[in-house]
Amino acid sequence: MGFSFYSVIEAALLCINAVAILNEQRLLSRFGESGNQYTTGYADEFHQTGGAKQQLLTLIRSVRTVMRVPLIAFNIVTILFLVLFG
Amino acid sequence: MRRPNHHSDQERPVEPNVRPNSSQNAFFTPQTAFYGQPNDPALEMERLTSNPFLRVGMKAVEDGMKDITGKTFNALPDEMKKSVSSIRYYFAVDQAYVRKKLILILFPFRSRKWSLDYSADEPVPPRVDTNAPDYYIPLMSAMTYVLIASIVLGTQKRFTPEQLGTHASSVLIWNMIEIGLLSLIFYICNIHSKLRLLDLIAYCGYKYVGMIVVLSSYLITHSLLAYYCSLLYTGISISFFLINCLRLQILPDTSGSQAYNVNRNRRRVYLLLLVTFSQPVFIWCLTRHLIVT
Repeated sequence: MGFSFYSVIEAALLCINAVAILNEQRLLSRFGESGNQYTTGYADEFHQTGGAKQQLLTLIRSVRTVMRVPLIAFNIVTILFLVLFG
Repeated sequence: MRRPNHHSDQERPVEPNVRPNSSQNAFFTPQTAFYGQPNDPALEMERLTSNPFLRVGMKAVEDGMKDITGKTFNALPDEMKKSVSSIRYYFAVDQAYVRKKLILILFPFRSRKWSLDYSADEPVPPRVDTNAPDYYIPLMSAMTYVLIASIVLGTQKRFTPEQLGTHASSVLIWNMIEIGLLSLIFYICNIHSKLRLLDLIAYCGYKYVGMIVVLSSYLITHSLLAYYCSLLYTGISISFFLINCLRLQILPDTSGSQAYNVNRNRRRVYLLLLVTFSQPVFIWCLTRHLIVT
């Protein structure tokens, strides 16, 4: 119940780490998608049911691309804090 | 809102000194920001401004403040300027609106008209339209919830001053988690609706009113039955209120081509129900630990 800001930051960092270490091939073979990730979503008005998976994969891929380098920095800082201050 | 001694308003640097957007001038002119009647304060003002030293001093302070706030406001990048003025829209409330909105939240069963008014393609500020979302009520009710939770803990002799901070931070964090999850779900399900993120924050903040009602009913009667009854009633009324408010925002309004949109409609309905029924669950979760059988 008593959340501190630190626990939220830690949880967010762990989640983003989990997203960053995903193996794309295994994930895709699990979802059953093969190569149609690059079809654009311009047909949004008509077909929506597959859209959720597309959006999720796009989100995962963009998070990985954006957060790859800052994540290294965050991880190093967090490890230093935990080692020094317990 | 209405302060009887206007000399303290002269030293407050905030609203009337920052120029608002021109499109919102009609609602935010300094004349409308002040609601005070010039009868009594005029006497004090005369007494004050007749003293020349005080007058010089106050003018210097006022100019300095105007300078600082103007400079900080202009130094912000354009995006933040826009978001500051769009957040200011949500604080344009007055007492009649707050009263009507509170009654609407706690007893929404009589209202017939839930659509928002628009003027010149922009939603009308909350002072004019009762159905518009605002940030004043969620903010104030969140703070009141923290205080009432501390009072409840005090009556159970478990209060320490750090509980205030604990509750405040948990309110903030649960709010952020909820808004984050909801925005994520909106994005993943690819639902584009009229509901902006800022509106969603406002609508998710109305549950604190329910929390206050639940907690105060427990505080007054100290009975579990009163707690559960008020929880039930508050859950029903907030769900009803939110369903009606969000129905016009999330669900598509005109039925263009029904054949294609069936799946999307269903997803929107599910999302609407999720948003609405997660509110009473939140109320229950956030007040559960304060209740002692």
